[in-house]
Amino acid sequence: MSNYTILRPDHHQNLCVDMSRSAALGDEVSQVLTYPLEFRDIQSCYPIFFTKDSETGAFMPVALLGLNTGQNLFMINDAWDAHYIPKLIERNPFLIARPANANPNQTSQPKLSIDLDSPRVTEDRGEALFDSAGAPTDFLENIIAMMQRIHQGLEHGAQLSQALVAHELLEPMTVNLTLADGESKVLEGFYAIAEETLFNLSGEALQTLNQAGFLQPIYMAIASFSRLNDLMARSNSAKQQRAESL
Amino acid sequence: MTDSINQIVIVGGGSAGWLTAAIIAAEYETQPTADPVGIPLAITLIESPSISTIGVGEGTWPSMRTTLQKIGITETEFISRCDASFKQGTAFRNWHHSDDSGYVHPFTPPLGYEELDLAGHWLSHPHRPPFAEAVGTQAAVSKSHLAPKQITTPEYAFNVNYGYHLNAGKFAQLLQEHCVQRLGVHHVRANVIGITSHENGDIKALQTDTANSIPGDLFIDCSGMNSLLLGTHYNIPFHNVDHILFNNSAIAAQIDYQNPTDPIESCTLSTAHSAGWIWDIGLPTRRGIGCVYSDQFMNRDQAAAKLKSYIASTVSPDAGNSAALREIRFNPGYRQKFWHRNCVAVGMAAGFIEPLEASALVMVELSANMIATQLPADRSAMQRLEQQFNAKFEYRWHHIIEFLKLHYVLNERSDSDYWVQNRAASSIPDGLQTALKNWQHRGPWHHETQHADDLFPSASYQYVLYGMGFAPQPDPRLKRRAKDQAHRAMALFKENEEMTRQLLAALPDNRSLIDKVGLHGFPKI
Repeated sequence: MSNYTILRPDHHQNLCVDMSRSAALGDEVSQVLTYPLEFRDIQSCYPIFFTKDSETGAFMPVALLGLNTGQNLFMINDAWDAHYIPKLIERNPFLIARPANANPNQTSQPKLSIDLDSPRVTEDRGEALFDSAGAPTDFLENIIAMMQRIHQGLEHGAQLSQALVAHELLEPMTVNLTLADGESKVLEGFYAIAEETLFNLSGEALQTLNQAGFLQPIYMAIASFSRLNDLMARSNSAKQQRAESL
Repeated sequence: MTDSINQIVIVGGGSAGWLTAAIIAAEYETQPTADPVGIPLAITLIESPSISTIGVGEGTWPSMRTTLQKIGITETEFISRCDASFKQGTAFRNWHHSDDSGYVHPFTPPLGYEELDLAGHWLSHPHRPPFAEAVGTQAAVSKSHLAPKQITTPEYAFNVNYGYHLNAGKFAQLLQEHCVQRLGVHHVRANVIGITSHENGDIKALQTDTANSIPGDLFIDCSGMNSLLLGTHYNIPFHNVDHILFNNSAIAAQIDYQNPTDPIESCTLSTAHSAGWIWDIGLPTRRGIGCVYSDQFMNRDQAAAKLKSYIASTVSPDAGNSAALREIRFNPGYRQKFWHRNCVAVGMAAGFIEPLEASALVMVELSANMIATQLPADRSAMQRLEQQFNAKFEYRWHHIIEFLKLHYVLNERSDSDYWVQNRAASSIPDGLQTALKNWQHRGPWHHETQHADDLFPSASYQYVLYGMGFAPQPDPRLKRRAKDQAHRAMALFKENEEMTRQLLAALPDNRSLIDKVGLHGFPKI
């Protein structure tokens, strides 16, 4: 379980975080949340699908990393085998969130939090967060900047999802894959851009989407499907290696 | 007189009137369109400003999901506006013995129902759980106050089948707004004070006190128990069934939850008492509780005392004492015909029966659907529809009455004459008596000839019969496939246990889901 707490110099001055990539540090996940502002990089490595937030039913885009639960086909010998690492992987163990506010009319400032139960959080290994005077290190300054970009990116992403629903541009999609050894995989619970609806959209609707910065990510999400071939190839070679090592 | 059917006039602004208007208006254009040839169907609903709606009929069947979808109301809007919650069936208590643990009649048929009749295997099971729990997941889901779906489930879709509990007044209000603002139905607030007829006896127009005379080609009587057109105007006789179903009175109350976060029941609770039964319907905002009784066996004060003591023991003693009570009297039965000339009755104007299986709204849906889909374009074709409609709905009333009676006939209560007389052969329709005799040798299953118009499938008969302790005699003959079938039955029982475990872990409780629907709404896909 995670245990997020707002990061404070007086409480967390001695903390370090291990930012290396490794299954033991929690990188063995089969999908990760993404947002349109990084779609250009994501689609060059991973397929992008939409899935529902189990708490709200809202749609959110995810990058697919594996074909089984808990399988990350891009983690090879504790190294990330792709030229772009999704930002929501890199952000661990940090989180940026608006704290719950007693007064719902008052929007609180998003605050940087850290998961104290993450295996990345140590006192002796990795990057220090604060210097001896209690000031944020350059590392932490960079994290703060990244987390702000992620926060804005996710808010923009939520608007994209709302626009897709409003224009009925999402449709349920079941992915059927057959691997080299004949095993068939069915990926369910995913939604994809409804291409036919998109092609029939009025010029006015397209303009609205374009002005909000949504048209480009929509086409990038469509283009990203071809990355499924790469996922299959990775799955095939992982299976073959396992078979050979037996 | 023109013979084409272009103007429909509905009398009555309760759930029946507005639901009928919505179902028909969802089928036809009600306003002129760009189409130069086609003719819109004008629909006018006359609502009396001085008659209040009866405000019961707060339970629906799963069919309501299809109906709402068809008339274009989102599930999120429906749930938020009508204080609706999810209904997964009815839980009966004390119907068999005066203090039994009860049984559930869920909306889902037994697992593997098409393939195998699990009932026989359940009967020979040494340590058997209640029938509904052994053959399906829904009884256990309901018992834990769980919802039939998750917030990620698309609107109107489900993990386990469901209908609704709703606030009838708010439902009529939502339907009214939807009909007037989005479906082009004309709303006239006036009292009908006279009827003018054509020479052939068809209704020509309705005179109202504040609006002009309202002409029409087809008149739909949704005026409730008044049955203004079919009963009062046409004098169609009423077929009384109180010799079969004794109940003819009810006292209703609306009770706040003791604590606003108390769980919301997944089933209508139906608890038998010495001369009737008590309904208990949980909405997110309140409970609707009512005592149904026969005034032949219990007087009004005794019934009120029953109701108050139920409220006192299930809510709080204070709530029992302070409850505001509303009384309803009814004749159980139906009109000898429902469609007469250019007039058809829908809802209580056609008939009324105790709400034991919440059949009122589903009968409105079925009637309105038949009118909407088969509405003749010309008066000359109406005669045939009149005959078909009457035959169909007479069959349905007959079927409902037999199925409701089934709940009573196997009782073993000896605490009152009411229950003794309820199992007397003289009170049981012939068809049901014959069926009961046949079931002694082979219980009902889908091999029973299913009539296309049957409202209750054979699975419903199973839930009531086996819930009431019925057991057919085992077939003494040796069957070649007995062993295979026994294996298959055990596998299905196991599969049901596993599915039940998964659902109990995955489904939210009713209140959490309804709160989330208020915040986020259900996704469309």
